[in-house]
Amino acid sequence: MTSIISARGLTKRYGRTLAVDHIDLEIPAGRIVGLIGPNGAGKTSALKAILGLATFGGELSVLGKDPSRDRASLMEDVCFIADVAVLPRWIRVWQLIDTTEQIHAGFSRETCMEYLAHTKITPDHKVKQLSKGMVAQLHLALVMAIDARLLVLDEPTLGLDILYRKQFYSNLLNDYFDEDRTILITTHQVEEVEHILTDLVFIQDGKIALESSMEEVERRYLELMVRPEMADQARSLNPIYERELFGRHIFLYDNADREQLEALGEIHTPSVADLFVATMNRGES
Amino acid sequence: MKRLIALIRREYWENKGAFRTTPLVIGALNVAFLLMAMFTTAHIDSDLYTFREGIKIMAEQPDALRGTIMYQGMLGSSVLFTVVMSFVIFFYLLGALYDDRKDRSILFWKSLPASDTLTIASKLITAMVLAPLTFLVVMILTHILMAIFGSLMVLSADGNPWSLFLSVVNPFKAWAMIAASWFAQSIWALPVYGWLLLVSAFAPRVPLLFATLPPLIFAILQTWIEFLRTFTLKNNIVGVIGNWLFNSPAILTAEVHDQRGEIALGIPLSDDFDHAVTLANILDRLFSLQMLAGLAVAAVFLTGALWLRHRATDN
Repeated sequence: MTSIISARGLTKRYGRTLAVDHIDLEIPAGRIVGLIGPNGAGKTSALKAILGLATFGGELSVLGKDPSRDRASLMEDVCFIADVAVLPRWIRVWQLIDTTEQIHAGFSRETCMEYLAHTKITPDHKVKQLSKGMVAQLHLALVMAIDARLLVLDEPTLGLDILYRKQFYSNLLNDYFDEDRTILITTHQVEEVEHILTDLVFIQDGKIALESSMEEVERRYLELMVRPEMADQARSLNPIYERELFGRHIFLYDNADREQLEALGEIHTPSVADLFVATMNRGES
Repeated sequence: MKRLIALIRREYWENKGAFRTTPLVIGALNVAFLLMAMFTTAHIDSDLYTFREGIKIMAEQPDALRGTIMYQGMLGSSVLFTVVMSFVIFFYLLGALYDDRKDRSILFWKSLPASDTLTIASKLITAMVLAPLTFLVVMILTHILMAIFGSLMVLSADGNPWSLFLSVVNPFKAWAMIAASWFAQSIWALPVYGWLLLVSAFAPRVPLLFATLPPLIFAILQTWIEFLRTFTLKNNIVGVIGNWLFNSPAILTAEVHDQRGEIALGIPLSDDFDHAVTLANILDRLFSLQMLAGLAVAAVFLTGALWLRHRATDN
């Protein structure tokens, strides 16, 4: 299987701080990968290196190209929304669509107009007249109309209301995604994306804290909810994280014996958010 | 090519005020002044007696003299356009690689498959070709409007505008000469354009200061050191920039002295080139050693700008 993104010892340094600390990463085609980490963990730095927007150390190949040297040709097959509201404020919507169409061979005007038809955006609007959420809608419509092999989304739905967020992720999954495409997505709203992800990458202090497919997550991690009187027994089985909710104790286990846990209480697959908190805690201790 | 045109169009859209509105305002001012002068004449002298006499005296002059006056008048009227255009291009280039870094839209532009070289080329072509073109179109329109109003005035004083001033000059010759001088100026100004793009790609803030302060400080230090060494004020950057301006292929001088109009390329304060407005003199500047040195300097600046643009993101 060929990798869409392949990194070996990827490093990004700002002065003395290592924003990205020797990351090894392989992302195959046809995956939806969530890159998740706390603020300042190095997500955006890593994405910028992948998109050819920053210099870096180590080896990095995206669609077989070196992003720091071949950004322009790479962008024929890669689309990205890096952070929110970066569309030029002076431009009119029709000018933006025209320019993108002229420069991007894989752009479909019809698809873009279809997405825009579900919004209140008109071709004569200037970007600066649009609300933050409408700018995000416009940017998403542009990007989803581009036939790309890799789509990189950095906090794509920040500022959007919940209706449009749901709509966006369902469009992404149903209309856009297929086995030839790869989507790399970072967001703080983990709950929204966890159902569409195929792979998880947790990043902490510039290092990868967890890299796993969702199937593996389901296989490996178990969440156990027990009554207080069973807590000590559960604690003795080496949980990686413990919390309390409505008087119940909830434990998270990595590679535990399912039958042994079932005897103590209720078993669930942990949510990505809980797994994230547990992983970050383990990383800090 | 399609991409380059799309990028140039984008520059035009972003700077419509500078490239379209500004020359329109100058053109409108020209026409307005002419109309004001006409109304003043008609108001003071309702029979247009003085004006009629003036036309009569003019009509008695040889065609060649009237032709020269018209030709020089047209060339002279370009000076205001040239000066304002220079300011427009100056500020356009200062912002060209700076504004999108400041408002972070560089992240969008860099998400398009257009190389940094193409981006910088589009900005340079906008300054060198698009700006002179739009100013030229508006200036020609201005000339036509002024000719129409002038003709109406002459007609109302029973004169014949055709034989008086329209037929004695070939406007295309004047327009071609102005166009030639402007496009030559685009090449002549390349080292400055390169410097502005370099500063635009580099400046963390206030590109105007970064563009003007270093040469200024350099000039002061150099002048001071030269003065201490030789007690003269020659061979320094002020002299270089001054000569660059004095020898410009654009028509920068239009004045009347000793009752004769004088139109000149650049400012006739330097003996390096002939300042008469001829195509040969324009070409003489473009194929000079000074120009060659300027191109070398421009190449260095533009390479620097490209290097910086390649590394630029939103912070």
